[in-house]
Amino acid sequence: MTLPRTLKLTGVLAAAALTLTACSSSSPSADGAEEVSAYPEGDITFIVQAAAGGGSDLTSRALASELEKELGVSVIVENRPGASGSTAMQYIADSDPDGYTIGFVPVEISMLAHQGFDIDPANYDFLGQIMLAPGVISVPNDSPFETLDDLVAAGKSGSVTMANSGAGSIWEAAELGLADLTGATVVPVPFDGGGPAVAAVMGNQVDAAVGGTAETAAAHNGGQLRALAVLHDERHPLLPDVETAEELGYDLNFGGWGGVYAPTGLPDDVREALADAIATSAQSDSFVDTITKSGALSVYKTPAEFTDFIDDEYSRFASLLEVK
Amino acid sequence: MNPLESGLAAVVDPVTLLCLIIGLLVGTLVGVFPGITGSMAVALAAGFTLTLEPVQGLAVLLSIYVGANYGDRIPAILVNTPGTPAAIATTFDGYPMAKQGKAGLALVISALASTVGILVSMVVFIIAAQPVAKLALNFGPPEMFALVVFGLTIMISISSKSIVKGVLAGAVGLTLGTIGRDPITGDQRFTFGINDLSGGLDFIAVIIGLFGIAELFDQLLTHREQKTKPISSLGRWWPNKKEYKEMGKPMALSTGIGIVVGIVPAAGGDIAGLIGWDRARAISKNKDKFGKGSIEGITAADGASSATLGGSLITTMALGIPGDSVMAVMIGSMIIWGLQPGPQLFTNNPDLVVSIAAIMIVATVVSLGISLVRMRGMVKLMDLPNYYIWSAILIFCVVGTYTVTNNMYTVIVMLISGVIGLVMKRTGFPAGPVVLGLLLGPLAEANLRRALLIDGPTIFFTEPISAVMLSLAALAIAVPIIAKVRGARRGKGDPGSLEDRLADRTQREAAESKSER
Repeated sequence: MTLPRTLKLTGVLAAAALTLTACSSSSPSADGAEEVSAYPEGDITFIVQAAAGGGSDLTSRALASELEKELGVSVIVENRPGASGSTAMQYIADSDPDGYTIGFVPVEISMLAHQGFDIDPANYDFLGQIMLAPGVISVPNDSPFETLDDLVAAGKSGSVTMANSGAGSIWEAAELGLADLTGATVVPVPFDGGGPAVAAVMGNQVDAAVGGTAETAAAHNGGQLRALAVLHDERHPLLPDVETAEELGYDLNFGGWGGVYAPTGLPDDVREALADAIATSAQSDSFVDTITKSGALSVYKTPAEFTDFIDDEYSRFASLLEVK
Repeated sequence: MNPLESGLAAVVDPVTLLCLIIGLLVGTLVGVFPGITGSMAVALAAGFTLTLEPVQGLAVLLSIYVGANYGDRIPAILVNTPGTPAAIATTFDGYPMAKQGKAGLALVISALASTVGILVSMVVFIIAAQPVAKLALNFGPPEMFALVVFGLTIMISISSKSIVKGVLAGAVGLTLGTIGRDPITGDQRFTFGINDLSGGLDFIAVIIGLFGIAELFDQLLTHREQKTKPISSLGRWWPNKKEYKEMGKPMALSTGIGIVVGIVPAAGGDIAGLIGWDRARAISKNKDKFGKGSIEGITAADGASSATLGGSLITTMALGIPGDSVMAVMIGSMIIWGLQPGPQLFTNNPDLVVSIAAIMIVATVVSLGISLVRMRGMVKLMDLPNYYIWSAILIFCVVGTYTVTNNMYTVIVMLISGVIGLVMKRTGFPAGPVVLGLLLGPLAEANLRRALLIDGPTIFFTEPISAVMLSLAALAIAVPIIAKVRGARRGKGDPGSLEDRLADRTQREAAESKSER
């Protein structure tokens, strides 16, 4: 009998808390209307392009709870999955540029335009990069390929099959990038997600795979597969014994990065307020702790640096993806 | 303390037990709500449980997983709407049973079969998780393709009335499955410039439309004045001795199927339920009863789809590869807690493995108790006038599908599927094969093309698992067709038997319309 009562009590408390939040967030608008830098006055909606439970969702929720502390208003994470993330991107582009609708922007923003989607980075204001998850090349445990050189050599004399997390994914692009750089014949084999792609390497069904650090590092450290190279300019803390592609003499940098964006045309004061809050949140201990545990690196770029970076990525993927 | 003791001690802790109860209540609620799946609930709950101790957090997440598995059978049986895709096969016999006034019996049998399925699969988890998990790695693209083709042959058996109509419906499902981005090249197919379509048709919205909404529209249009309440007049709850005996064979078979399908990474309760139901039908003495309220059918469907829980857990914990979508979320949470699922888990955290098994078992037993108690209340709801029931279902379905994507597009897909489902119902086309085609078609295509990329066409015959399964699939298609052709020939040669069959059919139709009324 005590249990239902406790639950009821929790429910009442939650309702009370909600009402209080609603009241407190609506009151400043009444008297502070003429002030210039009143932003933010109400709840902010944070759009995620993936379903609840994935990496993007986890990162977004961790960032949102930090942003709440910085901005003093509720930041509500809303998942709008579908159509390779373009549904959410379109939604952001169509929203009012008032700073109350922002979202998590994934690497795909620089790729989708080259894959037949109507997504143009020019329609957005980029507010800062918050993370990077580098790609890792791995091979089965009993693979004859001991090094990245071996794999490339095999690709030059014949062809190698390489699993990735899906058609049009960043890891497929990384495989095309490897082929483009070395002249090896790579057959990308898209799977339905990063887990199945890594499983295909563990089960010796493909010659190699490119996957995210999270799924690859655990399998490498558990002895289920061998990681050959990290596609980033420095070594990854979860894979301290694995060399970077650069160390091995290959100029290959591919990662699933993410940041925050809004529809283009934000008022300057709003953009500054958001950019400052994001800079602090993205470098806060609890945010960094959460994303590092899930295999990503804490990489921050200012709005200007991030915008330039996206331009570079956009033109890099144009040559990689459209040749295909 | 040894790992067994400390693992169990962590579970009998009052806070953990409280977490477990909360998870179960959330899970059953979520399961009953059509459209909201266990993986969504687990994903949302994961945001809160990260602040808890790992065992407490796992208690919440795992018991949502278990609870949802029980909850989703209820709308499947009572209103023909699977709460989640895992309950698709439950509707085949569950809803006919309810229409015959045996809703209570159907609910009890479903709960018993689910319980046995989960418990047996957990025994396998405890005894042999690591060796069994190796099986999952043998399931590459050619094996997955063969499994899915085998699954597609079920189209024949679920279209018992007319194979032609069933296969046509299945072809429509397969065609619908090609909408969206090409699985290998990423090109857009049949999207007609509509951006939302490039993600494919939302599967959950289509099943809710074809099953639940179609049934609802049908009832609205039929508008029968005489208020008969076959569903709430249930009479008997518990199976009798003969019925328990009937459950034995399908139970054993379907649990085995469920565990194996659960271990395969990309296959879950939906596929297992369908295959379990189909295989039980193949070995049954009363094949004709399947799809018309067979106790064996509902036992097999729920036993198989529930046994995938333990199977998925094996793959997830012993390999670190998600066994299904709920487990993918679970892995994410465990990593944040600093627990890496995979072979290391069994050596580094044996106590946690014990705790996980204990949570699953306790949650299952408590769920069975809750189900048996709660059912009477649930069925009482069916006493309400139809217009309350159906409008509530419509609201639930719309809200449920909207929350999948926060996008009206999903609701529109559901409503259009509802209209199509209604037309199919009225013209005698079965909805099952459409769903089967839509569910399995994309899996078949993607795995076929992956296998071809990897090793060319010979791979299907050189890999033993896929060779065996493809032969079984060929048999599953050929045998009923040959039987039917032979039967028809015999029928032609012997006018007496044709008459018999006609008489039989009229009788059956009369019985059906009686039971509907």
